[in-house]
Amino acid sequence: MIFEILAVGLLISVMLALFLDEVVYSVAALAGTFLFTALIYFIDGAIYGAIFQFAVGIGTLAVLFLSGEMLGDKPVKKTSPTRFGVLVGGGVLLSLPAIFISISGPAGIPSDLTLGDALWNVRGLDVVLQAIVVFTIALGIGIVLYQKNRKGRA
Amino acid sequence: MDFVILAIVMLALGIYGLLTNRQLLKVFISLELIATAATLNFVLLASNLNLGQALLILAFSTDTVLSGVILAVLVIVSKRYGTSDMGKIIKLMQEKNEPEVDTQ
Repeated sequence: MIFEILAVGLLISVMLALFLDEVVYSVAALAGTFLFTALIYFIDGAIYGAIFQFAVGIGTLAVLFLSGEMLGDKPVKKTSPTRFGVLVGGGVLLSLPAIFISISGPAGIPSDLTLGDALWNVRGLDVVLQAIVVFTIALGIGIVLYQKNRKGRA
Repeated sequence: MDFVILAIVMLALGIYGLLTNRQLLKVFISLELIATAATLNFVLLASNLNLGQALLILAFSTDTVLSGVILAVLVIVSKRYGTSDMGKIIKLMQEKNEPEVDTQ
């Protein structure tokens, strides 16, 4: 029962995040999306996934709230209660297929692989490569901004 | 109860929002939803939960970098053109006769 409630809540918050007129309220609804996703991970037994989702979500939301206040144009009209109700109803309707339809897939192979093993032994090379990708992106942005600054001064 | 369908619905909504929203921040929110829908499958479809969580953590790292870069671009664009409406930005770009992608 709790999975069904989480699914409905998740899709309602997704609908509100996408289709509310006010950007700040959309960001608040996105907070709900992250919270419901973290709860789904938690109930599914993925404790670390839930913690990471929560932490990353909080960080993204903090930045988004600031950006929403700074960049968001003032909406011409506010979201009417009718539109709000339609969005909530739409979210409930869209969650019905997930609740009632079930797709059976291949069964997983049980093993005693720990998170540490999975992260460092199985995905070890991937971790190093991702660190290189992140570093390269940061370096590239730094070079572009440095060149722009130099051009601006010249 | 099937979370694969939930992730598909979420992905579809994210793509729809990406194609229809004109506000830059709404576009960013759509991208976040697409990323969340994709990462949802790592845990819920993994044959081994720990391997799924390891993949999820790696996906979060790239997603966060992606978010940082996109937000930086959004701030620069909206400061430059004074609006966060994509339609107005494209119109202003055409008026200034600028190329859409600055390769300099």
